[in-house]
Amino acid sequence: MNNSLLEIKDLRAGIEGKEILKGVDLSIGRGQVHAIMGPNGAGKSTLSAVLTGRPDYKVTEGSIEYDGRNLLEMTPEERSWAGIFLSFQYPVEIPGVSITNFMKTAINARRKAQGLPEMKPAEFLKLLKEKMAFVQMKGEFAKREVNVGFSGGEKKRNEIFQMAMLEPTLGILDETDSGLDVDALKIVADGVNSLRSPERSFIIITHYQKLLEYIRPDVVHVLKEGRIVRTGGPELADRIWQEGFDGIDG
Amino acid sequence: MARKVFMIGRDEIPASVSLGAGEKLDWTLVCLPGTSAVVDLAISLDGPGAELDLAGLYLCPGSENVRMNVSVCHNSGGCISHQLFKGIVGGTARAEFDGLIYVARDAQKTKAYQQSHSILLSAGAWAESKPQLEIYADDVECSHGATTGFLGENELFYMRSRGIPEKDARRLQIISFLSPVLERLPEELRDDIISEC
Ligand SMILES: Nc1ncnc2c1ncn2[C@@H]1O[C@H](COP(=O)(O)OP(=O)(O)OP(=O)(O)O)[C@@H](O)[C@H]1O
Ligand SMILES: [Mg+2]
Repeated sequence: MNNSLLEIKDLRAGIEGKEILKGVDLSIGRGQVHAIMGPNGAGKSTLSAVLTGRPDYKVTEGSIEYDGRNLLEMTPEERSWAGIFLSFQYPVEIPGVSITNFMKTAINARRKAQGLPEMKPAEFLKLLKEKMAFVQMKGEFAKREVNVGFSGGEKKRNEIFQMAMLEPTLGILDETDSGLDVDALKIVADGVNSLRSPERSFIIITHYQKLLEYIRPDVVHVLKEGRIVRTGGPELADRIWQEGFDGIDG
Repeated sequence: MARKVFMIGRDEIPASVSLGAGEKLDWTLVCLPGTSAVVDLAISLDGPGAELDLAGLYLCPGSENVRMNVSVCHNSGGCISHQLFKGIVGGTARAEFDGLIYVARDAQKTKAYQQSHSILLSAGAWAESKPQLEIYADDVECSHGATTGFLGENELFYMRSRGIPEKDARRLQIISFLSPVLERLPEELRDDIISEC
């Protein structure tokens, strides 16, 4: 087992014929937390879409190796089974499907793919309750339809709840902190910090250094116009917060 | 009047119904796979305070041909009508919903709502919703919406990103699309429909 979990090389990708990522190189070691910052429209969400296999995004060049496998050949569900999880910048509403049913289906689909039997209902409910309590979601949410009528903060909390349920090997948080109050921010940070281990890695996409005070990243990258133009330690995030992106060029 | 569920092609559906003052009607029409039919239903609200709650569900995954002609006439003021139709159309099936809402000149304080939505599962399937409004009163609250579409790619991707395979995700999506009408059905029938999705 080598020590790198994710290897992105010269990645070029876009949507509807428009190139957005223009040669991204990124290497993430096991156990590391990388932050990605960058101005609006830089391509941060495009990167998370490509990592999770969104069908409308096309990779035109480059490679992505995840845990020794060619990620680009895997379907979105296979990537999830392999431990990739994205906390969406804009979580999607699924009317008519309860959080309980949604999570039960997700967990059992993965178990099936791994050749395991379905989780026993009692065991599942215990897990669900425990994780909901962990992100301080009220029990009544278990019956609510996924994200339907949720406030912005509740949607983000629901993403972290799902992350806690699925315990990913690579967690990607796409602006999960945007629009959150301080308490919710701490819950997000706790969600990540409690999962941190020598095997798990995280990509934290954010505009604010606040979250990075709670989740200390090992590496900070600046993505600008489809390229990583600067890589540094946590102090880079503080500098961006004070000076903005203008002074930061390759 | 109590809730009633009609199975299209099996149960006799009255061609016309008149609701008098304060009368309520709560009907759900269900068309199961393999059924081709033309349904003509005219409901008139003829006394103040009459209320109609009408819903329909049609599942046409093969080569079915279903037509629903529904007319709701508000002849008296102060009545409410709700209509909600949902259809899933696949294979080479055809489904058409023609819905007329008529509000007479004296039928003030009418509330009339109509929604009809269908989802196409294949390129060979065909569905159309034709809402028609004829409103002659001026103090009326009225809305209608009709859509024909494919299953949403955003929802599908969200579910797949959680490890739910495409096929299961589509099934969940269909159930979620139908759920406002499924909720109106007796549990056994609802479970039968869900297991067929
Ligand atoms: N369907 C599309 N067609 C054309 N361009 C698109 C499409 N979707 C996204 N883009 C463009 O791709 C660029 C990168 O978008 P992306 O969402 O990756 O940015 P971002 O870095 O996540 O920004 P933000 O900080 O605002 O979330 C933007 O200029 C955006 O307008
Ligand atoms: Mg973004």
